[in-house]
Amino acid sequence: MAESEEEVDVLVQRVVKDINNAFKKNPNIDEIGLIPCPEARYNRSPIVLVENKLGMESWCVKFLLPFVHNKLLLYRQRKQWLDREALIDITCTLLLLNPDFTTAWNVRKELAQCGVLNPERDLYLGKLVLTKFPKSPETWIHRRWVLQQVLRQCRPRAAEQKEPGEVELGGAQGSPPNERLRRVLRDEMKVCAEAAGRYPSNYNAWSHRIWVLQNLAKGNLKILYDELSSMKLWVSTHVSDHSGFHYRQFLMKALVAELSRAADASCGPSQDLHRSHWPNGDGVGPAAAEESRTASVPELFGKELELCTDLIETYPGHETLWCHRRHVFFLWYHWRKEQSQDVGRQPSLLNHTDETLSGSLGASAGRNVQAMDVDLALEESKQTSYTQDSKRLKRGPLQLRPGLPSEHSFVTKILSGCRSPEQGRFAAAYRKWLDSVIVAADTRSGSVKIKANMNKRISKRKTKVETLLP
Amino acid sequence: LLLDKHADYIAAYGSKKDDYEYALSEYLRMSGIYWGLTVMDLMGQLHRMNKDEIIEFVRSCQHECGGISASLGHDPHLLYTLSAVQILTLYDSVSVLDIDRVVEYVKSLQQDDGSFTGDKWDTQAYGSSCLCGKLEEINLNKAVEFVLSCMNFDGGFGCRPGSESHAGQIYCCTGFLSITGNLHQVNADLLGWWLCERQLPSGGLNGRPEKLPDVCYSWWVLASLKIIGRIHWIDKSKLRTFILACQDEETGGFADRPGDMVDPFHTLFGVAGLSLLGDEQIKAVNPVLCMPEDVLQRIGLRPEIAS
Repeated sequence: MAESEEEVDVLVQRVVKDINNAFKKNPNIDEIGLIPCPEARYNRSPIVLVENKLGMESWCVKFLLPFVHNKLLLYRQRKQWLDREALIDITCTLLLLNPDFTTAWNVRKELAQCGVLNPERDLYLGKLVLTKFPKSPETWIHRRWVLQQVLRQCRPRAAEQKEPGEVELGGAQGSPPNERLRRVLRDEMKVCAEAAGRYPSNYNAWSHRIWVLQNLAKGNLKILYDELSSMKLWVSTHVSDHSGFHYRQFLMKALVAELSRAADASCGPSQDLHRSHWPNGDGVGPAAAEESRTASVPELFGKELELCTDLIETYPGHETLWCHRRHVFFLWYHWRKEQSQDVGRQPSLLNHTDETLSGSLGASAGRNVQAMDVDLALEESKQTSYTQDSKRLKRGPLQLRPGLPSEHSFVTKILSGCRSPEQGRFAAAYRKWLDSVIVAADTRSGSVKIKANMNKRISKRKTKVETLLP
Repeated sequence: LLLDKHADYIAAYGSKKDDYEYALSEYLRMSGIYWGLTVMDLMGQLHRMNKDEIIEFVRSCQHECGGISASLGHDPHLLYTLSAVQILTLYDSVSVLDIDRVVEYVKSLQQDDGSFTGDKWDTQAYGSSCLCGKLEEINLNKAVEFVLSCMNFDGGFGCRPGSESHAGQIYCCTGFLSITGNLHQVNADLLGWWLCERQLPSGGLNGRPEKLPDVCYSWWVLASLKIIGRIHWIDKSKLRTFILACQDEETGGFADRPGDMVDPFHTLFGVAGLSLLGDEQIKAVNPVLCMPEDVLQRIGLRPEIAS
């Protein structure tokens, strides 16, 4: 099917127009895709709009892309002028076909900076692109640029006063909650979730999600909690998704940091650590505070490890779940270490209405760090009664808090009952990790321990060791 | 190992591309050329490539700001600036560029926190500067600070502080720390552990837990291990078997995993990986810059490798 250059020209111009008209006709298009269709049907547009789905017949793509691609480059080299409407349409078409073409995104950046393109249109365009190319690095990169523009627009004063990334969503220091930012944040979470669902362990989607929280919702406890609870079902149905679990690790770490910060910010024994006192809260009063939001750090870790245990037992042989365990236990272990090292300071997460409690914690805080794992269970039984809530939320039966002995018994239990060789492998690796990384990190012999374990592993394989091990 | 077939594949690559595929990949053309040239040089076949044409192409991609684009008419970018400098270094023709302007461009991209715009592959900036011999022009301390802030509890590195550890990112960061003389800041045993856990029963390496093996990770992971002095923690013969299985006996070239379609990217990293594993039919490759060692020796560059 030989087409003359003029014919191609006419065809392509029509297609670009058809795409543009489709968006005008239906501003709610939510997905793009290619329709496998090797030949053109006579005089019918290759652009197909059905409900909210925009399709392009595959035959036209091989004409369309080179044409709009070269047109944009001619413009960029100042060999051919394109007006702003044409630029917007052409870059849109290009990016729907080839979203990693950075130059096209850059043209749109310039249009946005001139004020002729609303940056939020690029959030929409990016969202569409991601339905077909959920990993596209340049799309995510451009998205972050756009969000930075939006942030600047939302908080011009704040952007001057604070450091970038410290703009808060709402309720901070008396200023009214920013509706636009909230909406943008909600949309971002949605876009990330959809992209994560379209490609397993989508690194770019999840690291973008983290970036958004770090920059649009810094220190916002409510959002951190909401994300943690809303992700629980997702990770339970995506047990191989390492990025999804890493996101939970990020949330845990951020929550612990914020809770500790909030606790430190309050001073004196009679402070109730309700959310109204937390500087980054949403201004919701104590009456509306839900139990999950005021959970103590130990409870947070307890629940997370419980989730991890359930999943490991239900879905044997998933490395991701064991990695998650390592990470969570590591966070927990080091948080406990830091807590007991705060000897001179007021214990942080205490409800001081219980006098005897403060006494016991004072005693334990002075204890040797190394003794922690042995006495952990005992110590934690005292801690179950101290939460930030009033006593009516006090838990009933004792929860055994995690520690090295309990982790080792967990591994033993798994090893004795498991039938999956991978599960056995991962359990054994976890045990070695506990010994080498956690315990050894407490002592100077840390790295020697790791090396020793490595040596055992290597010699087991009977491979020739090329260099001398130190 | 079918080196001749791979050389034929690369030499012929691009000549059969139709408009559509060419336009689709043009945004990374400079890197594509770097991959092709490097693997040819490693196989001792660089002479089969069109040196003058390529040098002219690279030169014409330098913009006024000093940065270099992936192809004519595209915008300059840090990634392609690095690839351009690497290409010209292979040809000992870096002087066709205005080097001072290149350095100015790289400097201009450094941000307050030490990172460089151009997003995740920030650390490539150091590659460029280092090849130009002007490493001292960048704010090194801030950059080191930023890279170290990307270190995670497992010893690995993510693309930003708080991001998941990723083998590609680990490679960039360990390379950077090597170039800047900061390898001692890496926890080699911890990171080495994470890296050698990338090896799967098939012998191939993945980039993160529970992902499929991919030949390009034979490079990112292996080179990182070499840089931190733990390459013996991998089962080398099993890895070699995997890499060789990724060859396409008919077309030449390597694919990401056995049976898939080949491309120059995976061809380079397959061959480079085999070189690191000690294959004597291939030239020695430098793990930090992924270029032949003899080229770096020529310009007197010896990034730190731990033992």
